[in-house]
Amino acid sequence: MWMTNEERLVGQVLRGDHSSFELLLRPYRQGLLTMAYRMTGNYEEAREICQEALIKIYRYLHRFKIGHNFKNWVYTITLNSAYDHLRNRRKYEDIVEKQKNVITDSGPDPEKRLLEKEIKKKIKTCLQNLSPKEKAIFQLRDGEGFSIKETAEILGCSSLSVRTHLCRARQKIRAKFEKIYFQKREVIK
Amino acid sequence: MKCKKVQSLLPLMVGDEIPLAKGSAIKAHLKKCSRCRQEYQSCMLAIEKTKEWLAEDRKDWEENQWQRAVQMAVSEVKPEVSPLAPWPFKKGWAYALMAVLVTALGLLFVIRPSFIQDEMTSSPGKEASNQLQVFQNLAERPEQDTISMTMISRESGLKIVWFLDRNFNLEVKQ
Repeated sequence: MWMTNEERLVGQVLRGDHSSFELLLRPYRQGLLTMAYRMTGNYEEAREICQEALIKIYRYLHRFKIGHNFKNWVYTITLNSAYDHLRNRRKYEDIVEKQKNVITDSGPDPEKRLLEKEIKKKIKTCLQNLSPKEKAIFQLRDGEGFSIKETAEILGCSSLSVRTHLCRARQKIRAKFEKIYFQKREVIK
Repeated sequence: MKCKKVQSLLPLMVGDEIPLAKGSAIKAHLKKCSRCRQEYQSCMLAIEKTKEWLAEDRKDWEENQWQRAVQMAVSEVKPEVSPLAPWPFKKGWAYALMAVLVTALGLLFVIRPSFIQDEMTSSPGKEASNQLQVFQNLAERPEQDTISMTMISRESGLKIVWFLDRNFNLEVKQ
């Protein structure tokens, strides 16, 4: 029976080879962190979510079905961890606010930081009105480049639902974008 | 297609996520309607710019943080290893295969084909019970009182029969 490289690595991890676990997840480490970051808007929280997701992935690796898409499975776990985190965050909103303030103060290059900050602000403004599901769909489709079918598989919903949410998310983003863009143009004039 | 309908579908048109038939109808409308075309272009600009920002704002782990996170995951939990883990096929199929094997074995014992029956009849337990039956039959017989000895002459063909009792005394019989 044909096995992909990932499936072979899954087998190795399940036989007790811990080093294969890192190799298995290395290609997705940036995508997962970015996804979690986009959902929370906070780097520290994103790292926490990914840490939690890594533990879940390792614990339930035996449940991964051979023949399925490993990337989709990993993203599903990370997204679910992010949802759990967001649910809990509402309870501890104050603590998170304090963390945010601490983190934004750090960074090496001031010019680069300013640029990054500006982009972050723009993204934050564009995504602020989106629901968690719309955010997840927009990030998966436009940020990570997943197809509609893959996005639906990751979120466990229909392709039609993905299209509807994506359409709504883009409409909201466009409305916000126009505000930012035309404000900027007016300032330049 | 009407302008309102086209404009509601423009966000999906930007990412080419519309079925071919509908897509071509929208394209045809865009060629004719300048207002919708303008809407499409501004929608395209918004999404493309946001995508650019998303690409610029990608996060990555610092190597040591990543290694630490992986180590923590590996050391904190033990994976629940399934007995079917190294098999490259789905669990359902493995269970189905096992069920078939168990059913086949069960049927073998129920039907008992000839080779199983032969083996069962020649089993040591069966032999032992047969021998026991023979000894029991012998024990049930009455004790012997007389023994007869027959002697035949080769030359004359004369036949003499001796009857001996329990103490080997010769008995004379008419």
